[in-house]
Amino acid sequence: MVPVSTTLLELREVGKVFGDTVALAPTSLAIEEGSFVAIVGPSGCGKSTMFNVIAGLLRPDGGDVVLRGAPITASTGHVGYMLQKDLLVPWRTVEDNITMATRLTRRVTDEDRAEARRVAHQYGLGEFLRHYPSALSGGMRQRVAFMRTLVTHQELLLLDEPFGALDAQTRLEMQEWLLRVWKDTGRTVLFITHDVDESIFLSDRIVVMSPRPGRVVADLANPLARPRGIHTLLEPDFIALKAKVLGLLHGEEA
Amino acid sequence: MRRRVLLNVGVPILSLLLVLGVWQLVVVGFHVASYIAPRPREAITSVTSQWSTLWPLILGTIRETIYGYLIGAVLGFALGVVMAKIPVVQRLVYPVILVSQAVPVIALAPVLVIILGFGIVPKIVIVTWIVFFPVTVNVLDGLGHVDPDLKNLARVYGASRWRTFVQIEVPASTTPLFSGLKIGAIYAVTGAIIGELAASEGNSLALYQEHANSNLNTAAVYGTTIVMTLIGIAWFLLVVALEVWSTPWQRRSVARRRWRRGAGGAAG
Repeated sequence: MVPVSTTLLELREVGKVFGDTVALAPTSLAIEEGSFVAIVGPSGCGKSTMFNVIAGLLRPDGGDVVLRGAPITASTGHVGYMLQKDLLVPWRTVEDNITMATRLTRRVTDEDRAEARRVAHQYGLGEFLRHYPSALSGGMRQRVAFMRTLVTHQELLLLDEPFGALDAQTRLEMQEWLLRVWKDTGRTVLFITHDVDESIFLSDRIVVMSPRPGRVVADLANPLARPRGIHTLLEPDFIALKAKVLGLLHGEEA
Repeated sequence: MRRRVLLNVGVPILSLLLVLGVWQLVVVGFHVASYIAPRPREAITSVTSQWSTLWPLILGTIRETIYGYLIGAVLGFALGVVMAKIPVVQRLVYPVILVSQAVPVIALAPVLVIILGFGIVPKIVIVTWIVFFPVTVNVLDGLGHVDPDLKNLARVYGASRWRTFVQIEVPASTTPLFSGLKIGAIYAVTGAIIGELAASEGNSLALYQEHANSNLNTAAVYGTTIVMTLIGIAWFLLVVALEVWSTPWQRRSVARRRWRRGAGGAAG
């Protein structure tokens, strides 16, 4: 369906069973470089299992995870990763939280710090570099967590409901912010959400998943033009796509 | 800032003065005989008038306390880490540690004297014996409650176990670690005094007090007790100061400017 010449990540028949539960039925999926792919589905559909397999935290029962042609199955250190919980460490300043991933693998250099400061200034947190996370709001904390993910220099960013805990207003701001950063940096994003609006607003492509067993039920192209804004939410294409995704999610639950 | 200092330092001092006031009132009001309870001033004078005799003894007690405490804290931390990291060790060692704490230390002291003789060693051992336990238990607890998502995040980044330990697990456990260290600090002097009672051939603060007691010098008995208490409180406050100094994020929202070379402050 999609030309494979620019494939960044590929799942080949990756599956995972916990006890009697098929968390993820054998699944194949190819993610193109530079794309923004949303994965939407109710809890228990295997989306987080899929993420943990891609991140290398879980060894799949079968199949391969391939990044740029090289297998990375069950090995860590190849992707950026961000959860709903910001997981900022309270004992480090914003600047030091941004460089946390580096600090966990090697000594942090002045260049690393300079980059952290540059990214923070560029994306609206320059005044908070020496603040501790406890002084920041939820939205600001998620921005810091995203910057921390960004400076890992991984091409593939896994974002697991990063805005799930934010209020609606802040969430919309964060979505627009994320699209701006994504456009600037040209990374590939795999974005988990159970919010259909969010999945459509952000993505180039929507992968719909369903539980029992966790599996992919649809893979939809998103035709909406960029840049997107609040107006996007009212376009006929948006409404049509939303109806389709909702139908898929509900059709499976009946 | 000034207001906070007043609140944090002034109020505790006031409460201690209040205790002295009540003491004074009770002794005077109920006509308590001075061989049962002296007035606060008499107790304090009994110390200041004998200062040149007492000071070396106080230094001795402080020395035993510090050595025993440092060994106990390091040992307690190491034991907590090993037990947290190796479950078999935890199952093997935990019962032994519990038994060690169930043994009444006072009963233990003569045994230690038999084994280790007089001198400073048995006193240090007793202090260590008392101090390591709260440290171990709290470190074990702290390391066991580090957010698993945070540890997973470190794994995703490709962090080694050592770096995860140093950068994530230890700092995440500072609060329980300091709880253990503070409990240990307040009990450490008790250990030193018990050791001195059982194992002093020459002079010690504990023997000085016993001597005063047998001479019916009640003021000196009270005075010595106050001195011992003050050593314990001073040590406790020192540990609190260390905690305050090493965990600035618990009180501040903005970090102080760092002195690290090249770290240069951000231009707002």
